[in-house]
Amino acid sequence: MTPTYYLLLSALLFAIGAVGVLVRRNAIVVFMCIELMLNSVNLSLVTFARINGELDGQVMAFFVMVVAAAEVVVGLAIIMAIFRARRSASVDDTNLLKY
Amino acid sequence: MPQQFLAQGEQLQVPAIDFAAVLPILIVFGAASIGVLLEAFLPKHQRWSSQIALSLTGIVGAGIALAAYISDAPEGGITTFMAQGATTGAIAVDTPALFLWGTLLALGLASLLMIGDRSLEPGGAFISQAGLQSGGLQTREQANVTGMQTEIFPLTLFALGGMMTFVAANDLLTMFIALEVLSLPLYLMAGLARRRRLLSQEAAVKYFLLGAFASAFFLYGVALLYGYAGSVKLAEIAAATAGSSASDTLLYAGIGLVVVGLLFKGSVGPFHTWTPDVYQGAPTPVTGFMAACTKVAAFGGMLRVLTVAFEPASWEWEVPLWLIAVISMAIGAIFGLTQRDLKRMIAYSSIAHAGFLVVGAMTLTEDGLSSTLFYLLAYGFTTIAVFGVISLVRDANGEATDLSSWAGLAKRSPLVAGVFTFLLLALAGIPLTSGFIGKFAVFSAALADGNAALVVIALVASAVAAFFYLRVVVLMYFSEPAAEGPAVTVPGAFTTAAITLGTAATLVLGIVPAFALNWASAGGFVP
Amino acid sequence: MPDDIAASGGLDAYLPLVMLLALSFGFAVFSVAIAPLVGPKRFNKAKSEPYECGIEPSPQPVAGGGRIPVKFYLTGMLFILFDIEMVFLYPYAVAADAVGMFGFIAVTIFIVAITIPYVYEWARGGLEWD
Repeated sequence: MTPTYYLLLSALLFAIGAVGVLVRRNAIVVFMCIELMLNSVNLSLVTFARINGELDGQVMAFFVMVVAAAEVVVGLAIIMAIFRARRSASVDDTNLLKY
Repeated sequence: MPQQFLAQGEQLQVPAIDFAAVLPILIVFGAASIGVLLEAFLPKHQRWSSQIALSLTGIVGAGIALAAYISDAPEGGITTFMAQGATTGAIAVDTPALFLWGTLLALGLASLLMIGDRSLEPGGAFISQAGLQSGGLQTREQANVTGMQTEIFPLTLFALGGMMTFVAANDLLTMFIALEVLSLPLYLMAGLARRRRLLSQEAAVKYFLLGAFASAFFLYGVALLYGYAGSVKLAEIAAATAGSSASDTLLYAGIGLVVVGLLFKGSVGPFHTWTPDVYQGAPTPVTGFMAACTKVAAFGGMLRVLTVAFEPASWEWEVPLWLIAVISMAIGAIFGLTQRDLKRMIAYSSIAHAGFLVVGAMTLTEDGLSSTLFYLLAYGFTTIAVFGVISLVRDANGEATDLSSWAGLAKRSPLVAGVFTFLLLALAGIPLTSGFIGKFAVFSAALADGNAALVVIALVASAVAAFFYLRVVVLMYFSEPAAEGPAVTVPGAFTTAAITLGTAATLVLGIVPAFALNWASAGGFVP
Repeated sequence: MPDDIAASGGLDAYLPLVMLLALSFGFAVFSVAIAPLVGPKRFNKAKSEPYECGIEPSPQPVAGGGRIPVKFYLTGMLFILFDIEMVFLYPYAVAADAVGMFGFIAVTIFIVAITIPYVYEWARGGLEWD
């Protein structure tokens, strides 16, 4: 059970999330990728807590979870408002996000 | 390894909290919470007046608490929220923190006055119900409905409280939470414009997605630094840099990711892509708040992180930051020239200013710190007043932000044109304005630190940027006004007060800057 | 840390767990067994449908390509928010005796802070379905 593997997994998940944000054009999917990034950080934090033999990292993971939840709510509210405005329940129709 | 676990039956010691020191933050958050309750229980017609009263009381009260604390603040600053057996607390209350709190509260007051204004647009600049569909009939009705979404006031206060916590955060976790507390309300506020709903909502979505993306980077950096140092406290990260057995890769990647997250919030250089769209799409009072206060908070946090935590590793990040400063100045100055929309132009101007601020932030001397703090103060006031003036020039569709409609404005309203010219000259950094003193202080600090090449590039960038400010001035004074051009609305007391505050501060800081510079250099960060 | 617990009390430490297990198993059996005995027996068409729970299953919405109406999002969002916030009560519950009065006051402030948006949500009709 080498903790390094968890760190690698976490880095991989973070990278998948980051690439997803950059290549996907669907707001909800982009948003899910961001959540994936946050949760990969949680994995890192818990692993480092284990490596360091303390609990701080686990408590930080709690904070990240709560912040991620607040972000979900704000994000979905904004995205919902914009879909209502475009009179379309379908998320896939939106292609205005050309950054 | 420190003792982490309590033995059976052992009591945790109460962490040391200096309530007097953090009272300004508590007052702001308290007022925000009461504001939420007012929203819940008050009938619609009473909300605006009571929210205005509550928010102004909250900010002024926090200012009084801050002044009372400063009058007998301990020399060198303190840290509070200190856990059992720890050497530093989670919140540092030192000279830079107090200076930035004062700056944020003053800028927050001005922004709040602009946000609360109902004289320019009947019912204020914000939609009365965010969920309404845009386009078609309902939007036209919205322009005439006089209510406004009064949740904007608690949201502003929450964002302001987050910013105040952010600049005082002494560990990276507190910093992350504060970053989110300041960002989440801003995402919502960007989408609440009464006019041009689609643009505003699009700005909100872009700001949110890119902001959350940057937060994720910041957070991953925090995790890596935690793995490296075994702590997220800024001082302990610095100590670990001197002698940690952990891999240096963790340190470098961690520093890089944390700094990228902060640079995003400060709309610096290659991480600026959200800035023009969001500045243009967001309601103008919110843009003013975002441009001034967020910049102060982001660079306040960056100063603290770079100085307290990353200073021992400075040789590692100096070159990348040098490049970023150059890129940011270049992007701001060059793209600013090509803009046709005034709000977009000011957005690129803010990117150029962010480059100048990076020059100050990477100068880790006492002068570097105090000059950057002064620059933030000066820039914040000027920017708020600029957006205040922009909100005055209107036609039938709301604000007329296209450059062509500002042609010949001096003939219609010499006063507004004069004030705007003065503010643009301050942004350009002409003497007798605060912008000049700020640039002068930052550049001479960087020069003294041996960064001559960067200062030369910065001077060139300022000269290029000065051109596009002057272009607007020339347009206002030497062009014929369009036949059906916009009118200059006479502002009500609130916006007048905000513009006057910003303009007066720009002038005063330009002529007698000594008092602010002295305060900014009264002390450094508490270790 | 399981090792410490095992060293201090042996398997006795697991006794509450076993009791909880027995209790929950017993409750499940009781609930399943008692329902046919005491419940009223009225049959209708809906009950023989798949996913039966007493109401007729509504067809998937055709508008929007068979997607779920947007108000489910709203309810889901509000649920997530208040649900996740409760995560902070777990560390407190574990360490309630060690953190003493200070911890109690801190948790009380936290709960008040959660209650404020809840009150707002309730008063502004966020909990009403239609």
